[in-house]
Amino acid sequence: MEEGAKGTVTSLASMFPADEAQKAAKRVQDTIAEKHQELDRVKGFIADNASLVNLVQKLPEELHHDIMVPFGKVAFFPGRLVHTNEFMVLLGEGYYAERTSKQTVEILRRRGKALETHVDSLKSMIEDLETEALFFDRTASDAAEGLVEIREELSGEESDEGASESGRKEDAHSVSVKDKGKVLNEDEEYARLMSKLEELEKEELAAEAADNIEEETNEVDPDVVSEQSSFNQNLKDWEGSHSCKPPSHSEEGQASDEEFLSRKRQQPALLEKSNPNDPTITSSHKDKTSHGKEPSKNLRDPNVADKSLKLPALEGNDHAGSSNNEVSIQPSKPKFDSLRAFTGSIIERSPNLPINPGETSSTSSQVPSSQSSKPQSRFRMQRR
Amino acid sequence: MGTSTALRDLQRDLENKANDLSKLQKDIAKNHQVRKKYTIQLGENELVLKELDLLSEDANVYKMIGPVLVKQDLAEANANVRKRIDYISAELKRLDATLQDLEEKQNSKRDMILKLQQRIQSLQAGKAKA
Repeated sequence: MEEGAKGTVTSLASMFPADEAQKAAKRVQDTIAEKHQELDRVKGFIADNASLVNLVQKLPEELHHDIMVPFGKVAFFPGRLVHTNEFMVLLGEGYYAERTSKQTVEILRRRGKALETHVDSLKSMIEDLETEALFFDRTASDAAEGLVEIREELSGEESDEGASESGRKEDAHSVSVKDKGKVLNEDEEYARLMSKLEELEKEELAAEAADNIEEETNEVDPDVVSEQSSFNQNLKDWEGSHSCKPPSHSEEGQASDEEFLSRKRQQPALLEKSNPNDPTITSSHKDKTSHGKEPSKNLRDPNVADKSLKLPALEGNDHAGSSNNEVSIQPSKPKFDSLRAFTGSIIERSPNLPINPGETSSTSSQVPSSQSSKPQSRFRMQRR
Repeated sequence: MGTSTALRDLQRDLENKANDLSKLQKDIAKNHQVRKKYTIQLGENELVLKELDLLSEDANVYKMIGPVLVKQDLAEANANVRKRIDYISAELKRLDATLQDLEEKQNSKRDMILKLQQRIQSLQAGKAKA
């Protein structure tokens, strides 16, 4: 039943055997029948009550009535009913009260009302039980058909919710528990959706900001771009805060923004550098960008260029970034951050997928698998 | 032979525990029935109280005691019914407490029986191997 570590397939029948589910369904059906009987009984009471009300209302119309008086179980003898407006009403618990016809009718009406509320509660109970029975029946038939539950672990933080969604979680014995769990899942999913939306919004904001800057710095030579700063910029885009940009790198930051945009939009000026389908070009592009270090770093430039040139075409972006980190003068960011920045850049380009689908896929596939599981999964999550 | 006697002991133990459990379950069922009766009485008494409250001061109220109707003061009847309701409520609370107690006992018994069954199974498995 195991599919490596990725997911499990469990047949529903193994968790809830068909005959067990049927038994449960039968039990519920029995309770329903019981409730129906009670309902009938109470309805009988209501009918009795109504006829009694009629009788009590009619009796005082005459001064006396000729009736047959029951004597024991078998015999009747003729008699006459007098005092037709005096009733001895049993209130319950052995208490009786002398009442007139009108007062008796009031008491009876109140009792009728109580009975009706009882009927209502019974009806709602039956409804609940019927849905329960339906659920059990469905589970039984599903199990009999050999339906299977498939659970797949999503990599990263959302494994649990995904798994519970993909499989039909059914608890044969306590529906309420199951419902609660479902609600919880829905909540979690809602939170996840909201966070996703927020991410997208941040990207949009960053893209807009980049747009504005691009117009100002259209003339800037795209070569004046340092890899380090582009990562910084990525990070900032990701975090959506341009304010903490170090002032000495503002120019580079803008340029890198431009670079991103041009990559994204395939601007004619950069077209030859950002051919999306060729991974080697991406690395050569990096080479270019590392060439464009600040003058102060030019001493090491050849080194860097060599390094990035030596990098195999399939080497990941973040590898290049880390190698650049080593030689850069700036306070190097922790590696994790650069990774995150990388993630951000992937997500940033994803809305343009239809335009240049090759690039994102190629870059993401370049990423070393050991570190890529999280970003990739995010990326895929977005595509869904 | 040591294992077989131990096994027999365990099985006897299990039987005793199962008997205890079924006794407990019977108690619980009885408790439920008594509770049901009391709740019905409580409802009836409340209905009576409502009607008595609606009666006017000079109304004649009788109480059926055995085969005769005894005339009663309305205030007295009212007080009696109230007392009865209090009593029934207290009784219901007491029944609730005992019911909870019984259910706890039942659960612990069930756990013990489960453990015993597992031990017997493991013993039997060991015997089958040997």
